[in-house]
Amino acid sequence: MIKIENLEKIYRTDEVQTKALNNVSLEVAEGEFVAIMGPSGCGKSTLLNILGLLDEPDGGSFTFAGTEVAHAPERRRAALRKQHIGFVFQSFNLIDELTVAENVELPLIYLGVGAAERQAKVTRVLEKMQVMHRRNHFPQQLSGGQQQRVAVARAVVNSPRLILADEPTGNLDSSNGNEVMELLTELNEAGTTVIMVTHSEHDARYAHRVIRLLDGQVVLEHARA
Amino acid sequence: MFKNYFLVAYRNLVRHKGFSFLNIAGLALGLTACLLIGLFVYDELQFDKFLPAGERVYRIYTEQTSKETPETYSPVSPMYATTLKQEFPEVEQTARILMNPTTNLLVVGDKKIYVKDGLLVDSTFFGVFPLAFKYGSAAGALDAPTSIVLTEDVATSFFGPENPVGKEVKIDTTGFVVKGVLRNDLSKFHLKVNYLVPLAAAQLPAARMKRWGWHQFFTYARLRPGADAAQTQAKLQRYIVEQVKPTMKDEEMNDKPFLQPLRDIHLYSATFKYDLTVKGNITYVKALSFIAAFILLIAVFNFVNLATAKSMQRAKEVGIRKTIGASRQQLMLQFLSETVLLTLVSVLLATLLTALLLPALNAFTGKTMTFDLLRNPALLGILVVLTVVVGLLAGFYPALVLSSFQPVKVLKSAVVTDGIFGRVQWLRHGLIVVQFALSVFLIICAIVVFRQVSYLHNKDLGFNREQIMFFPMRGDNMSRHYETFKNELRQVPGVVSASIGYGFPGDQVAGDGIIVPTNGEQKNYGVTQLMVDYDYLNTLGLQLVAGRDFSPDLKTDKDQAFIINETAVKELGFGTPEQALGRIMKWQVWSDQNPDSLKVGKVIGVVKDFHYKSLYDKLEPAVLQIFPPAYWKVAVKLKGDNVGSSVEGVKQVWGRFNPESPIEYRFLDDNFDEMYKAEDKLKTLLWTFTGIAIFVGCLGLFGLATYAAERRKKEIGIRKVLGASVPTIVALLSKEFLLLVLVAAVIAFPAAWLAMSRWLQDFAYRIDMPLWAFGAAGLLAAVVAFLTVGYQAVRAATANPVTNLRAE
Repeated sequence: MIKIENLEKIYRTDEVQTKALNNVSLEVAEGEFVAIMGPSGCGKSTLLNILGLLDEPDGGSFTFAGTEVAHAPERRRAALRKQHIGFVFQSFNLIDELTVAENVELPLIYLGVGAAERQAKVTRVLEKMQVMHRRNHFPQQLSGGQQQRVAVARAVVNSPRLILADEPTGNLDSSNGNEVMELLTELNEAGTTVIMVTHSEHDARYAHRVIRLLDGQVVLEHARA
Repeated sequence: MFKNYFLVAYRNLVRHKGFSFLNIAGLALGLTACLLIGLFVYDELQFDKFLPAGERVYRIYTEQTSKETPETYSPVSPMYATTLKQEFPEVEQTARILMNPTTNLLVVGDKKIYVKDGLLVDSTFFGVFPLAFKYGSAAGALDAPTSIVLTEDVATSFFGPENPVGKEVKIDTTGFVVKGVLRNDLSKFHLKVNYLVPLAAAQLPAARMKRWGWHQFFTYARLRPGADAAQTQAKLQRYIVEQVKPTMKDEEMNDKPFLQPLRDIHLYSATFKYDLTVKGNITYVKALSFIAAFILLIAVFNFVNLATAKSMQRAKEVGIRKTIGASRQQLMLQFLSETVLLTLVSVLLATLLTALLLPALNAFTGKTMTFDLLRNPALLGILVVLTVVVGLLAGFYPALVLSSFQPVKVLKSAVVTDGIFGRVQWLRHGLIVVQFALSVFLIICAIVVFRQVSYLHNKDLGFNREQIMFFPMRGDNMSRHYETFKNELRQVPGVVSASIGYGFPGDQVAGDGIIVPTNGEQKNYGVTQLMVDYDYLNTLGLQLVAGRDFSPDLKTDKDQAFIINETAVKELGFGTPEQALGRIMKWQVWSDQNPDSLKVGKVIGVVKDFHYKSLYDKLEPAVLQIFPPAYWKVAVKLKGDNVGSSVEGVKQVWGRFNPESPIEYRFLDDNFDEMYKAEDKLKTLLWTFTGIAIFVGCLGLFGLATYAAERRKKEIGIRKVLGASVPTIVALLSKEFLLLVLVAAVIAFPAAWLAMSRWLQDFAYRIDMPLWAFGAAGLLAAVVAFLTVGYQAVRAATANPVTNLRAE
């Protein structure tokens, strides 16, 4: 489903050039669960942002579901994002002014889904994530684990083909973290491709395959032990 | 989708109460000021628009080209109307009004009321001004010399609600028959009118009505449809030069006639001499419009500033929405609808405030403006347009900035760094500079206007205007026995002196010619004629600089003596005041029986210049002489204490001479204060709206300072840990804003200088530009800015650094 070849990303300031990604090539098949690991500053998040069509590479190619998207215009990338990709962040990134249900509903609004269908989908996903009883609460009224479950609910509400998770358990204690990992695994088992950036060896064990980055390069790729 | 936008907008409003308050209060105040000024300006622009075919009506006025700077006069010779009607086929109808600003006693049965603004008009008046009648009709209403047409108010005060047509009204002792009653909707008519009487009633001598030198009629002409006013005007000017001037023998003819559109009269006649219309002033209307635009601009800038400053807090939301798939257009739409919502709340608030404050403005301006949204759908439309336009104006830039955020950048760090906002910094600073420049500009104008107005009220006018009771004589008994009347007035305890004459300061004065024989030539000069008695100089406290006062003991003083002022000494070419003494002057006596008789006399005294007219007008040469036939007005100088009982005493004397009519008096200084009413009002309006402008600007500055402090929390924390004191940190945070105020002042100073120099030029007597006002305005702006910013700075500086650093 995803194929990148010789991907490059360079950050420039006035005096310094930093290669965040250097000739990275990898493929992710439909239905895979891939973990990307590496020390801070190795380029994991940069890679994830490019995979999520939030950032553009400076070189190389990126094929998403058969089409080249490395330099697609913002409008097309926004369209692909809202149809096919769900995001889960370390810091949850829920909108504080919206309730749980409204946060989850947001992607459907941008997709132009009708009100009745939105309600049905939101209810379904909230029940699945076990936060239905919190539907009218605001993010600050929830625990970290609950917030991340809402974030996952928002990521999957429009049934994306790909979920990108950036350190999804980074702000959670271990039991809440495990719950979130279980959720991602369930989604993966139901057919959704998951790519996750993580520091945690424990979390990486949920993945089928681990890709290790160092200084912007893939140094190791191995299947789950 | 919009529901979601408004939901977020609403919750943002509620969550950030302080911020919302600053935004809404600032905008609502600005809009209120705008709406009130807008109503006022609209009202001023409506004058005479209610008259059908009014666009074809013109007033004839003249420029007197003999003066150094040509002066514009409203009243013209009666011959203009005659000529236009007879010789100009493009003129459909003409109407004249006699300049006759007196108050008359109207009598119906036992009811006696003094009524001002009675107009003596041509019977064609309603042909040019088709006013609406409540009773009777315009046709033939003024045909008989005994006809009178009343306004509704006057009719009601005499006759109550009944139809008075056919009833008798006496003016003093002459009887008139009511032929019609005008409807009460004359508030937008440029003429002040309470009743109308045909010119025929005045029985003006036919010979006088043919004089080109008798400038006594307000004259109007209605052109035929399709006639060109500019051509008619040019033709009239040619006619005067080619046909009239050559026929003039004794009199000089310096008229240059012009046609003034009816609908310009109210606003564009501020400098016209002897005008008796309801005066507006286009300068003030423009100034207020500018101020309204300024205030709205300041409010909108606040909005933009606060919104972009706050965008740091919204960055995360933008990042999330973009990640989820929102397009830039969708985000812009979201932020724009938020601003429109905020604007809507402000507009609603402003509407309420306007409705509440309008009665006060009405009382202040003497207008009857209404703000009725239900009855005036246009007003509703304006409010809707205002909401959308202001909302878009204020929201567009912040929306553009916010929607441009890159999710990768804004989501990465918990706090958005300054880098992203660096590019909007210049804009924020630019807007603050503009705001403060406008405020400094307004403060300077307010100070200058205040000083000039105080100057107008307090300048030494060269005579003593305190405690002088002033009234016209009424009834034959009083006029015939004016000397006895005056003597009895002098007997009243508390009366210092009394003078009877025509030509008191602040009242009507007559202009006429004086002939000065110089080197065998008879030179005719235009001067002001003050018809005085033997007590004029001491009653007004005028000072002689040469010669002596008139004396009742010298028989020749009545018929062979003149006193002149210093300006006359100069303009008549007499050299020094001493040299003027003894010079011969000749005056053509005012007499219908003997129009050619000359009074020949010597200059016996020179008085120090005194301002008998408003300070708008330059002092003119004045000639004082004893001339009882013109005596009309009485000035009674009272002692400073017990004024009340002195006035009572004067009233009793009046009652003995005229028990029929009640006395109608005022004090001379009130006459003068009245002259500067427009300036007084301008002063008040300017101070009020300058205050609002500064306040609104401060709201914005306060918000910005809050965010600046917020943004630099970490920096302040580190500085404090390293040992910075509270004052250094306050200075650090305030410096930036004070610098902006300085830049603003530099921009505002020349603009204010120009504007105020031009305004002051309208006054013949004016203050020097007060330089300190510039310093004071700059300082005031700086102090206000410092107080606003300082509060936030002190708060930030005294906060516990540990909390701030941990938040990072």
